[in-house]
Amino acid sequence: MPDLDGGHYFYTGLVPICNVGIVQHEAMKSSPIHMVREALETLPTALQSHASEKIGIQSPFARSLRTHFTRLVVLDQPFYNGRDHANALVSALSGTDLLKAGPIDTLACPYVMVMIDFDPVDPQGKGEPRAYFEELWRLMPDELDAVFRYAYGFSKVKDPASFADMMLACQIETTMPFNDYWIGAPQLPSLSKALLAAVPIVAIGGAAAIAILSHWPWWAGILLGIALLIVAVFIDYWLVMRQGGKSFPAAPNSTLRDVLKGLYLQQAFTRFAAERQGGDPATLGAAFRDFLAKHKPNDLDGPTQTPGVIRSHFPEGTA
Amino acid sequence: MSALDLADIQGGILRAYGRQGFPKARYFFLTIRDAAKGRHFVETLRPRITTAARWKNPEREEPLLRTRNPRVKDVVRAEGAPDYPGEVQLIKPKVALNIAFTFPGLQALDVPTRTLREMPDEYMDGMEKRAPLLGDDPFLDKRDAVWRDSRGDKRVHILVSMNAEMNKDGTPIAELEEETRWLEALCAESEGGVVLLSGTGPDGARYQEMSAVLREDDGVMSPTNKEHFGLSDGFGDPVFEGQMSGEAERLRMIGGGKILPDLSWAPLATGEFLLGYSDEAQEIPGAAMPIEFSRNGTFMAYRKLHENVGSFADYIEKAGARYARMYGIADPVEARDTVKAKLVGRWHDGVPLMAAPTYQAWKAFNAELAAARAAGDKPKLAQFALRFTNFQYRPDPDGATCPVTSHLRRANPRDMLDPNFTSTNKGSWDGSALVNRRRILRRGLPYGDVDPAAPSDSGEQGIIFLALCTGLFRQFEFVQQQWMQYGLDFNAGSDTCPIIGNAGEEEDSHKLMVVTEPATGRQPFLCDRIPQLVEPRGGDYFFIPSMTALRMIGMGIVDPT
Repeated sequence: MPDLDGGHYFYTGLVPICNVGIVQHEAMKSSPIHMVREALETLPTALQSHASEKIGIQSPFARSLRTHFTRLVVLDQPFYNGRDHANALVSALSGTDLLKAGPIDTLACPYVMVMIDFDPVDPQGKGEPRAYFEELWRLMPDELDAVFRYAYGFSKVKDPASFADMMLACQIETTMPFNDYWIGAPQLPSLSKALLAAVPIVAIGGAAAIAILSHWPWWAGILLGIALLIVAVFIDYWLVMRQGGKSFPAAPNSTLRDVLKGLYLQQAFTRFAAERQGGDPATLGAAFRDFLAKHKPNDLDGPTQTPGVIRSHFPEGTA
Repeated sequence: MSALDLADIQGGILRAYGRQGFPKARYFFLTIRDAAKGRHFVETLRPRITTAARWKNPEREEPLLRTRNPRVKDVVRAEGAPDYPGEVQLIKPKVALNIAFTFPGLQALDVPTRTLREMPDEYMDGMEKRAPLLGDDPFLDKRDAVWRDSRGDKRVHILVSMNAEMNKDGTPIAELEEETRWLEALCAESEGGVVLLSGTGPDGARYQEMSAVLREDDGVMSPTNKEHFGLSDGFGDPVFEGQMSGEAERLRMIGGGKILPDLSWAPLATGEFLLGYSDEAQEIPGAAMPIEFSRNGTFMAYRKLHENVGSFADYIEKAGARYARMYGIADPVEARDTVKAKLVGRWHDGVPLMAAPTYQAWKAFNAELAAARAAGDKPKLAQFALRFTNFQYRPDPDGATCPVTSHLRRANPRDMLDPNFTSTNKGSWDGSALVNRRRILRRGLPYGDVDPAAPSDSGEQGIIFLALCTGLFRQFEFVQQQWMQYGLDFNAGSDTCPIIGNAGEEEDSHKLMVVTEPATGRQPFLCDRIPQLVEPRGGDYFFIPSMTALRMIGMGIVDPT
């Protein structure tokens, strides 16, 4: 299941927007997709850069302790990049009429492309993405309403379950998620080359054995060999695809809460190390025990970084 | 490649003037208020422009022995081979004069829109607009008046630079003052068409005065390669194809060029530093048309960088004392010099940590070097010259010798960003492939004076930093933003460069981790709470045209069609 990879759920959806008529708002008359775009453009981003840090208005997605990354994009039309390229000789021989317009792909309506990486409640992804979207509706109904109110099917949305229904209907399967939480290369079980080689060898060997033991004519043996070899190639193909279809393993401690705690501890420990360096080794043990008691490294609920910020703030001397 | 057209390329690009016997300089900023008079000004200046054509210096001293630290270019000279390409037809000038333009400057000279629109965005923007990207925004109000007021009829359009020789008493030669008066007279003649802007320092000076930091030996002043923190600078400049003669290139590309997958060295592509040539991506870098307007020209970031020498001295004193305490070092000088070297990546005389990892190794390096000098042992000096630049970081992946986030390693990570840096499979190595498009030619000189007995942050002292490259965005701005003002490429989060990075508003955020070899069992050392050491005082982006382009600009015949 490619939507679940590396322990995270990668939702991708295309939500069609009914861009018919105009929307009157204050003194303006705008197209619906204009309203969608404005809602997206005024949606606050997380306070995770020096430029946005002091704005103080947090991204609504940071209300969820499961959201790693969200991207929302408006797709108006596919970008037309000119006629399809063709070999000039082939075109001449096939009598292509260059004065005749070629086809131009268009979309029937604009779409909002939704991409969200989040932590599934169940490690196998059972019940997702429904559970996530239900949670999201509970956390940020007004913002979601502003973005999706002109979407086809939004008229039926009235509660968490119906919002999840709509988003599930818009989901498309993706095959190449990306995440960056592995620090080193993960240990991935490789398919044995010997096993892959053994399958066709057994097929040919088996055909030869059957032909000899059954005193078949040589051509019948070769035909059986070819038939079994084709089966063997399919078995190898199935083995490779089955292996490739397995989810990438989750990196250790890579849920959002783990990551936030990790960031928090990194900053707290840097301060601790800076304040203590060169100090009396005899007091170090007690100080470190204090540090452990105060910052509770194993407690994800304990002191930690809030989501959507670039750093934790420590009052002077708390490390 | 075929030889570069040296007489078409302005001087100061292929070679740093400061290292060619021009330790003094004056930089003038001008605005054009009348296009025709501006072009006339350019035309009058044009015959005086110094180019990259080879010259003879009758006063040059003995190679390898003339400087305290031997230089690689002298290795070639000592062998009797030329270190510079081309024929010698000129005698070295006393004052080298050059010219460069901001984007509004080219507009003011009526360069056609069709040519100008193909200029890169960052050059059109100018340095002030790029402040948030460069990390300059906290310091905009501290800029010199010439930069604060650089708009409207005071917009900086032209930079005229004069790099000059020096008298034995440390003053610039008289010709510099004569050239200055000539330039001022030329502006006066234009009757307001070309105006010299004042305000290049707190005293409203008419030009930016610059000078190498000088050393006195028996009453004779000689230039050094120090800046005001007392650090020797300018060793690791890039080496590119066509920049030097064959023999000089063969030697100087070692440490200066790019690292190939087999870890050998090669010169960088010409197009990284001169427009109109193929670059490291095997493309011609984006350039304004017609191509002869761009070819043999380049871009330059001019930055006036104030140095807080008082803060630097204080910090080294404090951190040195802590370092001495932690590692039980009796000699405070040893501790201070070591902390300095860890921040920079080189000992204060320029010897790289990768060549002399410890204080004792550094002392031994210098003792051996002094012995070779005393004996006039040129082969040995030649070997030493190479050790200043010939190193890679693969033997030091954790930075136990040279910290990963030291200034030197950030500015040119060499092989460190090889995606397979730690792989034991030699066939997978990529050399410096990810760094080759991020190199800059560093030029410039210090300005101001510092009393070493009473270093202070106030006053006029720092360096005029010039970064030359064909893509300011891809090269200079990338290095400044990603490698100096950020640390992610080095797995150091948001940490900035300990020397030129911003200290940030949180007072404990500016730091450097000095890691140790795990096998030694020694604790690592954290250089924390580093104060703001360097502050920008203004600057801008300039286009340094070729002599052909300069003629086209002066004659008003740039034709992009």
